[in-house]
Amino acid sequence: MSVSTAVVLAAGEGTRLRPLTRNRPKPMLPAANRPILEHVFDALVEAGMERLVCVVGYKHDRVQDHFGPTYRSVPVQYVRQHKQLGSGHALLQARSAVQGPPLVVNGDRLIETEMIEAVADAYERDEPAAALAVLEHPKASQYGAISLQNDEITELIEKPTTDEYRLINAGIYAFQPDIFDEIADTPRTEGELALTDTIARLMDRDRVKGVHCEGMWVDATYPWDLLEMGREVLARGRVDTAAQDEGIWVHEDALVHDAATLRAPVVVGPDSEVGPGAVVGPDTALGRNVTIGANATVERSVLDADTRVDAGSTLFDTVAGQDVHVGAGTVAPGGDADVRVGNRVFEDQRLGAVLSDRVTADGNVSLDPGTLVGPSAHLHTGAHVQGRIAEGAEVMR
Amino acid sequence: MCGIIGCAGRHGETLDVLVHGLSKLEYRGYDSAGVALATDEIEVCKTAGEIDDLRAALSERELSGTVGIGHTRWSTHGPPTDENAHPHQDCLGDVAVVHNGIIENYQTLRDRLSTAGHEFRSDTDTEVVPHLIEDELADGADPEDAVRNAIAQLEGSYAVAAVIAGEDTIFAARNDSPLVLGIDEDAYYLASDVPAFRDHTDRVIYMDDGEFAAIDADGWTVTTLSGDPVDKDVDTVDWDPEETGKSGYDHFMLKEIHEQPRALRQCLRGRVGELAGEVDLGDLGDLTPRAVQFVACGTSYHAAVYATQLFQQAGIPAQAFLASEYTTSTPPIGDSLVVGVTQSGETADTLSALREAQRRGARTLAVTNTVGSTAARECDHALYIRAGPEIGVAATKTFSSQIAALNLLTLGIASGDDDREVISGLRDLPSAVQEILDDSVARDVAETYRDAGSYFFIGRGLNYPVALEGALKMKEITYKHAEGFAAGELKHGPLALVTEDTPVFALVTGDGEMARKTIGNVKEVEARDAPVVAVTDGASDVERYADHVLEVPDTHPRVAAVVANVQLQLVAYHTANMLGRSIDKPRNLAKSVTVE
Repeated sequence: MSVSTAVVLAAGEGTRLRPLTRNRPKPMLPAANRPILEHVFDALVEAGMERLVCVVGYKHDRVQDHFGPTYRSVPVQYVRQHKQLGSGHALLQARSAVQGPPLVVNGDRLIETEMIEAVADAYERDEPAAALAVLEHPKASQYGAISLQNDEITELIEKPTTDEYRLINAGIYAFQPDIFDEIADTPRTEGELALTDTIARLMDRDRVKGVHCEGMWVDATYPWDLLEMGREVLARGRVDTAAQDEGIWVHEDALVHDAATLRAPVVVGPDSEVGPGAVVGPDTALGRNVTIGANATVERSVLDADTRVDAGSTLFDTVAGQDVHVGAGTVAPGGDADVRVGNRVFEDQRLGAVLSDRVTADGNVSLDPGTLVGPSAHLHTGAHVQGRIAEGAEVMR
Repeated sequence: MCGIIGCAGRHGETLDVLVHGLSKLEYRGYDSAGVALATDEIEVCKTAGEIDDLRAALSERELSGTVGIGHTRWSTHGPPTDENAHPHQDCLGDVAVVHNGIIENYQTLRDRLSTAGHEFRSDTDTEVVPHLIEDELADGADPEDAVRNAIAQLEGSYAVAAVIAGEDTIFAARNDSPLVLGIDEDAYYLASDVPAFRDHTDRVIYMDDGEFAAIDADGWTVTTLSGDPVDKDVDTVDWDPEETGKSGYDHFMLKEIHEQPRALRQCLRGRVGELAGEVDLGDLGDLTPRAVQFVACGTSYHAAVYATQLFQQAGIPAQAFLASEYTTSTPPIGDSLVVGVTQSGETADTLSALREAQRRGARTLAVTNTVGSTAARECDHALYIRAGPEIGVAATKTFSSQIAALNLLTLGIASGDDDREVISGLRDLPSAVQEILDDSVARDVAETYRDAGSYFFIGRGLNYPVALEGALKMKEITYKHAEGFAAGELKHGPLALVTEDTPVFALVTGDGEMARKTIGNVKEVEARDAPVVAVTDGASDVERYADHVLEVPDTHPRVAAVVANVQLQLVAYHTANMLGRSIDKPRNLAKSVTVE
């Protein structure tokens, strides 16, 4: 049977990306100027999938509102995972929405059309119990590590403690239609159902095919990873707008003043405005309806929808969520910093600042490298901030 | 986006099946629709308007046939006229074709066909297809080969279905546009999407690009375009197709409330430049009215009342009239521009008022959601609000988009000192609405007051039309008594109705004189023990006198009321949902009222 329905797992919050996930799940965070999930949907549509079934959970309406009932003429059906009890449990929610063999992908990682096609082809050729994409990754021990013999998967170990593995499970699968029964029969581990547990059971008694893939595969674990993800998207030119110049993409409904400078690679999203004297780029993505005031400078940064950077501000290495207002003369000079997330300290991360959704900086605010500002925090005029600022905090000078 | 359907094997029921199927494709948009039935000849009925307009047109005709095709169209380019509606036919009237997609080489084909003597009746790309088939038939091809050969000449995206006089087969093909076959015991279907025939069968075949299908009362075949057999799986669907169009929401109304940020972006797209402080309304033409008269009904009337204040602030006298009243007791028009605000562009009362104004020599402007609608065609000028199809009978996103568009109109006609700030406020509107969608506690408020006997809404200035709109939404979908008042009017009568069982929703934005006065009115109702729900941006201290607060973000005063209105939409929606009302199709109401 041919593989024509894709199930996209997009229900998880992505807690390590907090506080950027205050209002939306990880798949809706920006990969350059568009949500990660939009890149995933593009890859699926271009691979010929005829129906998309999207498993949503955390802040599900953000996913539904963005894509609506069809995406690029392909019908999208949404099913809810009310409690996030693992990837197997998530897929199980799609049971009644799927006929035939499902293709399953994670909605929170950038993948390539060719990987999807390769997995679908491998499945259709001799219909194994499961086919999944594997690829080489320098940090295999942080993912599901794989051992492969003659296209057959012999080992699948989540986050192994050794460094001997070099292949990982890329999170792109094709299954027999009875996968749902297999998941339902898999014993839960601490109440959760991981898809890999079911795959391990299949491996015990059947053939699970590994499909060796190459190409772009990018995951974001921490907020600053969105900078790297944006760089990767721009470097590969995965932008939905025609290039105006080599590495310069300006949406047709964006306004860039003649006296502004765009430095490649850079993308300016629809409805955005860039004022006179502003310098934007390199390695910078402006989402939709972003405003860069006169003489502002934005380098190596990702600014999501509806964000405003007023005149004369300077942002380096900065991630801004949606509806962030940066007042005139605000400076995030960027550079290396030790960033604390929970109990862990990440040393020497190149990070100017993370500004979560609806942060307001009145003006003349300075942000030390590595500052994480929580949602809706208000940084008053002249404030100098560092470290972690709580959601809704009022910071005075 | 358009929708197509075809049906073979249902004999006398064919027409009903087609029309029912079209109504199930309504989420793909509708501004014109049509059907063709084939026997020894082809009979076509098509019309601009909604499915109900097609039903009305069909009620005056006797169409018969055992195979047929149908089409529903949502035009974003080119008007939805009767001529442009599908199905399209050849010169002899022996072929009828419906199509979803874009034929990229249609101009070349059309030029060639015209030169060869074919006559075209529409502006569509689709019409080349029946004429191509006609040529193939004239060259002696059998019907199936005629369709194959015609389709082979097309470039672009298409899902196409065709019927031919004297044939009881429907031919179809797809390339880059969706097409599904429906398989039953003795009847066969094709459509853009499963819901179109889901009430008849749950067995489907998903067609692939480059495939060609033929269905008749006896069965189906799928081949490549060149005629090689293709092995197709018959799948069974057990999901509820009704849900597909609703993006996972229980109701179109909630989906459309959530679509407001996107709709507002579309309304503003390419029309505002904040840094330059400029508005570009394209080919709207030269409008420099001395005064403006608005005519509208229902929710559109509330948007019109809102707009009168915008114009008055800009120094241009403006009045809003209920369209049904305007026609029968028309005021002196003088040099006024008469503006009809109508979502569908087909509202009979508004059309009558506009025609009356034109009869008296007035210049007219339509503010509408529907490209090429009657209002847009008949008025001297048209401004589109670009909200996209709205299916729920209770208007939500179109109200917000109307107000955004009317703000643009004001800016375009009368520039003021604070244009940049207003444009900035408009550009901040999508994210302000999104903030409410993310954080609203309207559901809790609805839960608290679901059993109240009446609901009152009060506001001043731009919040007054929003009070009217909040009450109308509540009436429409909860079937409960609700009234909106100018806050100052409360003590002139309605206060007598206020009891501990009548929650009062007070709209208070900003901290100016208007807010202070409304807070005075809030104290009046509080003294009568009425529960108070304040919808506020927190600038004033109204929270001290309120039992509940629905917060809205701080926005420009010109757009603040739009944001406040979203909270009231959500309260009405959740109340109706808890009461189990038929939210998308409330009793006694229709989406667009095409009778006076």
